[in-house]
Amino acid sequence: MFGLNKIIPVEPNINFLGLRRNFLIFSILAMLISIVLLSIKGLNLGIDFKGGTLIEVSTKNTSIGELREILSSSYSDVSLQEFGNENIILIRLQNRSNQESIETVNSVKNLIQDKVVEFRRSEFVGPTISSELLFRGFQAVSFALIAILIYIWLRFEWQFGFGAVVALTHDVLFTLGLLSILNVEFSLATIAAILTIAGYSINDTVVIFDRVRENLRKYKKLELVDLFNLSVNNTLSRTIMTSLTTLLALVSLFIFGGEVIRPFALTMIIGVIIGTYSSVFIAVPTLLIFKFRPQDEDD
Amino acid sequence: MKNYPIWKSFTVISLVLLGIIFAIPSIIYDENSENWFLKNKINLGLDLQGGSYLLLEVQLDVLYKEELDNFVDSVRLISRDQAVKIEKIDIQENEVVVFFTNKEKIKDIRDSFFQMYRGVSLQISNNRLSIKLNDEYRKIIQDSAIKQSLEIVRKRIDESGTKEPLIQRSGKKRILLQLPGVKDPERIKDLLGKTAKLTFHIVDNENTSALQNNLAPFGKIIVPDMYDENTKYLLDKRAVVGGENLVDAKGSFDQTEGHAVSFRFDTEGAQKFGKVTTNNIGKNLAVVLDGVVITAPRINSAITGGSGIITGNFNAQEASDLAVLLRAGALPAPLEIVEERSVGAGLGADSIAAGQIAAIIGMVLVCIFMILIYGTFGALANVSLIVNLFIIISLLGTIGATLTLPGIAGIVLTIGMAVDANVLIFERIKEESLKQTKVFQIVKNGFDRAMSTILDANITTLIAAVLLFAFGSGPIRGFSITLSLGVIASMFTALMLTNFLVYMYLSFANKKELKL
Repeated sequence: MFGLNKIIPVEPNINFLGLRRNFLIFSILAMLISIVLLSIKGLNLGIDFKGGTLIEVSTKNTSIGELREILSSSYSDVSLQEFGNENIILIRLQNRSNQESIETVNSVKNLIQDKVVEFRRSEFVGPTISSELLFRGFQAVSFALIAILIYIWLRFEWQFGFGAVVALTHDVLFTLGLLSILNVEFSLATIAAILTIAGYSINDTVVIFDRVRENLRKYKKLELVDLFNLSVNNTLSRTIMTSLTTLLALVSLFIFGGEVIRPFALTMIIGVIIGTYSSVFIAVPTLLIFKFRPQDEDD
Repeated sequence: MKNYPIWKSFTVISLVLLGIIFAIPSIIYDENSENWFLKNKINLGLDLQGGSYLLLEVQLDVLYKEELDNFVDSVRLISRDQAVKIEKIDIQENEVVVFFTNKEKIKDIRDSFFQMYRGVSLQISNNRLSIKLNDEYRKIIQDSAIKQSLEIVRKRIDESGTKEPLIQRSGKKRILLQLPGVKDPERIKDLLGKTAKLTFHIVDNENTSALQNNLAPFGKIIVPDMYDENTKYLLDKRAVVGGENLVDAKGSFDQTEGHAVSFRFDTEGAQKFGKVTTNNIGKNLAVVLDGVVITAPRINSAITGGSGIITGNFNAQEASDLAVLLRAGALPAPLEIVEERSVGAGLGADSIAAGQIAAIIGMVLVCIFMILIYGTFGALANVSLIVNLFIIISLLGTIGATLTLPGIAGIVLTIGMAVDANVLIFERIKEESLKQTKVFQIVKNGFDRAMSTILDANITTLIAAVLLFAFGSGPIRGFSITLSLGVIASMFTALMLTNFLVYMYLSFANKKELKL
């Protein structure tokens, strides 16, 4: 039987927890910077949450500059952007009242009619809807986090639940911070991506916790730090393998999946990396706060 | 084949075959097939096949205000009958307060009023009668308005020739429309944006001072012209006859007048119309649509046939659209478009193509990676992965789920995550192989030990997916569906199919030792 899996030793012995202080400082800094960024710069909200109008057109024999000239004489709040290639242009307009927006779409279409090959898409989200969508997005994320935590709490001891919360909060904050720096558009799809990241990160954490629990029963005498290290090492090749295959699929989606899905794929890639990191370097060290041993010996 | 029960192999093989067979309709994808089997294909969402999603909101405030105006008119009529003078009327947001000059007959007025509008809150204090639009009364107005609006919208959309539209109520005061394949969403929006309330009114040409002062006396209204805002007409407030009495309307062409809409009244409408035109020869008759006068021709002779034409500066499309609106009937209140998402067929096709490429490349990369790392076992996991994809497709097809662009993203993501269960199993087998040498015992322990971890790990992902479905909207639901199906299918393929394949391989290769 051949296989490169021997690259990763069957029983690796890397001292992950020895470095925990450095990683803890790094993560705390990352979270603080994220919070600052989110409160100062904020997220690049798309029309789903900000409201407004978006028109995607494919053009010929024209340039983005020419279209901008035509449109900006009538609309001061118009912004244009190439989307994937130079013949495809996204036109965005600020939010206005529902009725006005519909008329605006019509008149924008008339103004550039003869430069356009196809109106590929037009989206309009009114002010009431955008705030509802934002609210529902928050609702979905909070409920999902709570439900996941309840599940962890039922399946494991509550200490593990705490470790999972810390890791999850870290992942969501860190991801949002990076989205803010990279100016990735924040849309309904991003909410889906963040929830999936939450699911993925917890998934990763659960696999390691599972092993911690097993080892706690198996090695009654082992120092906690060593036991945690052992658990992380036991599951290391799985952690790496799954992250890599998931990333392979996501990178393929990012490169080949088309312009519309790209922000989603990017968010997921960031999230999977952060989620994997946090399972090993944040979730497990958090368990050190608790004294598992006395309880165990009581059993 | 020791250690592997026949019934289990049978179950696994049949499930896999079912998964592959039911994926066929979606893979062939014959759009117009009537074959009962081939019809079980995936529905493409609007973002993939092209089309329009519209969310409309019924403007209930307009209706509430109208109802308050009706209250005022009725109170005036009743007090005129009772010979009571009204000092003043105060119209507020939610209620009408009427001040009478004396309070003697105020109770009679209240009772008469209550006969007409059961359910409103009436309150007397001194010479004051306040009529309040309470919540129950509002709810009645709201429900009937939504019901009527739904019906009218359905008629208008049907008339516009849209195939397989989805029209349904959404929340308290909204209507959701999904119109697949619509090429010109602007026209649909035009059709829906008009209330299309048509009424005929006698024009008052004598009272010129009212028009000059822009102040309509009781029982009259001032209405602007459709084409010139500065031209105004003084009309009887009471309509002679309205659109509800129309039985037919169609676009027509008149040699002298150009494009026009010809219409026909029902018996009641024809009678009313005949009577009014007989009694008002020489006066003008205004045709009012949504608060503007389209035309106001002179009545030259009595029109008793019950049919006529409306002329205006129409082109052919406008005339036929107006006919559509009149045939479908008037909306009880204006509809406002609060959300629109229209995708052209070109972008949809591009998205499908890009999604397919991403899925295939992702798949190939993951498969190569698995073989590189786990060798033969990796190849077995790849068989599971491919079957997994077939099962997702066949489930999507048979449950009639809708595939959206985020849904494709969900499938690609699943490809990456689906091998996780296999990886967990293989890693356990690897560990077990260090402890003992009995090949089948190693495999059995590997699968057993990995089981609870696989369940825990996948259930958390499922929780996220289900909540995404519950709170997400539109395309996001498509993502949560493919993600959930992918997770469920991957548990089956890993725990049953990979298990079966590994046993098969070990039996036939007659392995005496296992080194992963």
